[in-house]
Amino acid sequence: MIEFLAYPFFQRALVAGVVAAVLCGALSFFVVLRRLAFAGSGVAHAAFGGVALATLAGAPPGAGALLAALIVAAATARASESSGVSEDAAVGVFTVSAMAIGVVALGFVKTNVDLFGLMFGNILTVSTADLVLLVGAGALVLLVLAAWFRPLLLASVDEDGARAAGVNVGAMRLLVLVLISVAVVVALKVVGILLVSALLILPGATARALFDRWPGLLAGSVAAALVMVVGGLLLSVALNVASGAAIILTGATVFVAAFLAARRRSE
Amino acid sequence: MSVGIRFEGIAASLGGRPVLEGVSLAVAPGIRTALVGPNGGGKTTLIRLLVGALDPDAGRVFFVDGAGREVPRPRIGYLSQRSTLSPLAPVSGVDLVALSLDPRPGIGGREGARTEARSALERAGLPAEAFDRPVGKLSGGQRQRVLLARALAGRPEILVLDEPDTALDARGLMTLRRVIAEEADAGRTILFVSHDTDAMGGADALFRVDGRVTEEGTGGAP
Repeated sequence: MIEFLAYPFFQRALVAGVVAAVLCGALSFFVVLRRLAFAGSGVAHAAFGGVALATLAGAPPGAGALLAALIVAAATARASESSGVSEDAAVGVFTVSAMAIGVVALGFVKTNVDLFGLMFGNILTVSTADLVLLVGAGALVLLVLAAWFRPLLLASVDEDGARAAGVNVGAMRLLVLVLISVAVVVALKVVGILLVSALLILPGATARALFDRWPGLLAGSVAAALVMVVGGLLLSVALNVASGAAIILTGATVFVAAFLAARRRSE
Repeated sequence: MSVGIRFEGIAASLGGRPVLEGVSLAVAPGIRTALVGPNGGGKTTLIRLLVGALDPDAGRVFFVDGAGREVPRPRIGYLSQRSTLSPLAPVSGVDLVALSLDPRPGIGGREGARTEARSALERAGLPAEAFDRPVGKLSGGQRQRVLLARALAGRPEILVLDEPDTALDARGLMTLRRVIAEEADAGRTILFVSHDTDAMGGADALFRVDGRVTEEGTGGAP
């Protein structure tokens, strides 16, 4: 398996995996804290509609995915804030609508877009240009996350307390969803639409089983994501199985191990 | 400088149901003012309007100095009736109070805020060994002390306490009375909601609220 490390495509895949892991691991902390697992999944599915519409319009699929994800994120935040519709219901409505739009749009166009890769990911085909985009977008999201971490954390654990302290709680809700949208598009190439939500949920859920204070939880979430992506990638090469599925199965195994360890510790 | 509060022509509704109609009242600077009245009368709604957690349908809330001149919104320490603090929040008392004291965006540690947080937790009577424990692992009374510490931290000009005696044992109530007395002596404007003003150490002024202000008077200390 070591000889694979000499291949440029595998090196690019590893770097892409590490970037996606750090990004999704850090965001997974907020996804689990704010119970946004469904929203992460919804935004990923909305990206499918965006790719289809972009293909129909002759625009870059990545741009379509990002735009659709951002629109659904903003609409979700707005609907849950102003109309009394719960966040999960709003996500559900927008997600199925975006998926349906995608299916209708693809019916009108003959496309060479790799739909299987889009749905399940294909990290081994990451190009140098993809990598530059991944690193740039990932760095930007992590910078914003680091700078706004304090108001985001306060608004995530105590909305009224945050409001009284002068934090714009609605803006923080939107910011988290926007960051998730960007992360989803960044991670699409790595694990695909169907599995990206797992990368946003499993690391945080794993860390949650082991840590009860935010510094450990955040570091544990990033570490779990790295083990999940790098371990899954190596496993996919060793067993010659699809990389996206191997990444998720590694993550699920790590989660079960953490859960069992936490249970043993509490007994 | 002590700051007073003015509610002017306030109307507010919750889920389409009118809760307050034409409420005007003046909370004088530097004294203890109690809001009393039946459940559902709108006391907590008034408090939520004051701290900005709710917008009025009509009217406005503003702040005045000792001479009655309008001043910018001061720092408000707030202890809510039903905390929205998640019991699973991965923060300790020190984390929560320090975050609330200085929630501004930016990278870097805020040691000053953490020092101030420890001092506020000590004043609120939380045992030192519980300072760094996650809030989910504190008892209901200890969590209430953390929320009281958050309200006290940073020396706010106005202290707003909505049924602060909830979940406190006899010792906690004594701490609460002591803290309110200290804040009143320091010239802080204190507005509280309670069904038992005596348990809070009495009030200098009192408003009975039931959809509107139905009675206004002096509270008196026990």
